[in-house]
Amino acid sequence: MNELVIRLAIAVGMALFYALFAMNLAVILTWADRRQGSMIQDRIGPNRAVIFMPGKVAAVGALLPALAVAGGVLAWAFQAETDTDSRGLVALVFSQLAIFATWVTVLAVAGRIRVRGARSSIDLFVRSLGDPRIFVWIGVGLHATTLIAAVATRGMSEGLLLEEIGLRSGPSVLAFWIAAGGLYAASGLAREERVGLRLLGLLHPAADGLKSIFKEDIVPANVDRLVHGLAPLISFFPALIVMAVIPFGDKLCLGPNGEAAALWAPAAQVCAGKPFGLQLVDLDMGLLFFFAMGGTGIIGAALAGWASNNKYSLMGGLRAASQMISYEVTMGLTLIGAIMIYGTLRIDLMVEWQAQNTWGIFVQPLAFILFFTAAVAESKRIPFDLPEGESELVAGYFTEYSGMKFAMFFFAEYVAIVTASALMVAMFLGGWSLPFVDRDGLRVVIGQTVWFELALPQLLVILLGVGAFIAKTLVLCWLSLLIRWTLPRFRYDQLMNLGWRKLLPWSIVNILVTAVVMTLLANIGGETTAKALTLLGQLSELLLSVLGLAAVFIAVPWLMKPVHHRRLIVTSSAKFAEMAGGTRLGDMGA
Amino acid sequence: MKNVSSHGPAHAKHSGMEHPRMETTPLGPKAVVGKVVARPNRDASVQSFVPEIAKGLVITAKHFFENTKQMALGQRPDPVLESINEGINCISYPEQRKPYAERFRGVHRLTQRQDGSPRCVACLCCSTACPAQCIHIEAAEYPEGDARRGYERFPAKFVIDELRCVFCGFCVEACPCDAIRMDTGMHAVPYDSREQFIYDKDLLLGIPGRDGEHGTENPRHEPGDATYPGVTRDHAH
Repeated sequence: MNELVIRLAIAVGMALFYALFAMNLAVILTWADRRQGSMIQDRIGPNRAVIFMPGKVAAVGALLPALAVAGGVLAWAFQAETDTDSRGLVALVFSQLAIFATWVTVLAVAGRIRVRGARSSIDLFVRSLGDPRIFVWIGVGLHATTLIAAVATRGMSEGLLLEEIGLRSGPSVLAFWIAAGGLYAASGLAREERVGLRLLGLLHPAADGLKSIFKEDIVPANVDRLVHGLAPLISFFPALIVMAVIPFGDKLCLGPNGEAAALWAPAAQVCAGKPFGLQLVDLDMGLLFFFAMGGTGIIGAALAGWASNNKYSLMGGLRAASQMISYEVTMGLTLIGAIMIYGTLRIDLMVEWQAQNTWGIFVQPLAFILFFTAAVAESKRIPFDLPEGESELVAGYFTEYSGMKFAMFFFAEYVAIVTASALMVAMFLGGWSLPFVDRDGLRVVIGQTVWFELALPQLLVILLGVGAFIAKTLVLCWLSLLIRWTLPRFRYDQLMNLGWRKLLPWSIVNILVTAVVMTLLANIGGETTAKALTLLGQLSELLLSVLGLAAVFIAVPWLMKPVHHRRLIVTSSAKFAEMAGGTRLGDMGA
Repeated sequence: MKNVSSHGPAHAKHSGMEHPRMETTPLGPKAVVGKVVARPNRDASVQSFVPEIAKGLVITAKHFFENTKQMALGQRPDPVLESINEGINCISYPEQRKPYAERFRGVHRLTQRQDGSPRCVACLCCSTACPAQCIHIEAAEYPEGDARRGYERFPAKFVIDELRCVFCGFCVEACPCDAIRMDTGMHAVPYDSREQFIYDKDLLLGIPGRDGEHGTENPRHEPGDATYPGVTRDHAH
């Protein structure tokens, strides 16, 4: 019974995840492409969709979730019986969360005050504390001090005292700051007459989608009506369905009889109970399925071009077909090297190999670059958007489409970016794995020495992994958008040249070199080589962690750096703007 | 010709002293005098475009991160007040608008007198001056007994076709009564149909100037005023 409930819950959760991941990520990507793309030129981008509500309603909407979360934290903290084993961990987690909530809340308030001025006595007090940057450094200092204190006093009586303090005060402080933040936001909102909910412009793609559904669907005369209607579906669904074989998290390990309690304890290295893979279909030929289905998308474009009864569409369809077939070859061949190393076609096993050894990008760097290029080309987007090159082919294969049918082609492109990015993450960027995060917690090992060890509950580790997978996918999606924002379109012969005469030979070279190196490594050294390889893998993990930390340490001061602008009031329009208080004070603001 | 080639190394080589006066042109390409320009670099790094692509991506990313940060934290520079600045300054029209310059010629308005009637005396100067011929005026006499009868007329109809108008401002220059102005600060508004661009007298009278006033500061000299010259069409001095 218990197991059935859990399996049902996980199935529902996975369905939601896939709906969110494939569909919403594509929607969000559409938004990100337009909005963030305009941000390069410092424009707001599509941000017109808005839900207006009275300030009081918005205040309640901000306050209630905060109070609910705060109440939940308190209730859990005072209800739950924490056994002695996990007391230290719970105390540590809660005290760190409490410190985090403290400085982030104060910092957010200080930031708001900086933007729109002090409006209340609390604002004045926060402003009197000085430069907001000090809150970050105080917060980081507190994190470091408490962590060091926790590690240093482990097993001593002072450690038990600290545990007690963390266990008692941590949840209360956390709940206090969550509630206080909600209250502060609500008090600001309640003063407004009317509050517009824009969600950073995220409502815009939703409104676009609604609009597309209700738009007139124009089917030109003399088209093949059946194929014309079928083509968008054929290009849309393969793009969606390939996500099914990509694992987005480590295997859940339930107890031998399917007990959920196993999720709260650190997992064993080898699952003794019932493993539960976090992917929709557990296929032995996962990667082949991905390519078989992904390749089907071509048919949609080609059919659309043919069925439209329009020379531009036909040209676009032909271009799409030849381009995608050309790059499909490279895509397949670049992955051969990776498949040889991983020794499997199952994507979940590939990710496990990377979690145990090192990320695929370290063993197959060339393949990653080639595959990334081919994947961008495969998604028919700038700089490879020849099938829809508007300067030559009007809009290419979807010239004759309108309404939701057009939107489905459009969507299919973005979904293809998401799925290709997800596959690249699984193949080259370690999937859900994070450096030094094992199944049973955090463990920093270099060589034979264990530098740091912290057991974490299985569920937390897996959720971290899912978060890492989403974050990595987003980074790759962003990278392909960045390429789109930067590069101009290829000429058609350049495109074919790149595909057949650059990427293809290099991918074959990649296979050969991989084979030679693998044979050499298998035949020389033995024990020593294996040790050296393990060390290299650990060093690569170290490199990743150092890079990640460095990025944080660069990003925080950069974010906190105040911006000084020079004012130049010469022209009469500048004088008018000065009188009006600046041109940035529009309704939408910035 | 001679001077040009005399500095070239090829010529110097061949100009033996035997025939100093003969104009011999050496075979092969002529020596060209000029600055030596280095051949463009065409090594693999340039031909593959990879470094340039990387540079371009870095520039895009830099703008992206900087602008996103400033937008998220509300630190964006004002594109008018802080125009000379690093980075890109854009106005997100129509959410944000750049104020028009003081002398911007916007949509017309007809100024009013104290009593709200148009200052226009239907002299047809503006419609005569108009190069686009977009002003149509039908003049009318004041009724018998009105103090202004014989002194001036009034426009029974005053129509401007804003679609034909080229916003040259000649009508404003031509007007002797300061009756038509383009100081509304409004640009031409988009409409659904052509009819809506035909602005009639009431609409033109209803548009305020940029200061919100319907009148002007120039005084009128009407019958009854102390400054009234006492001259009419019928009764000269």
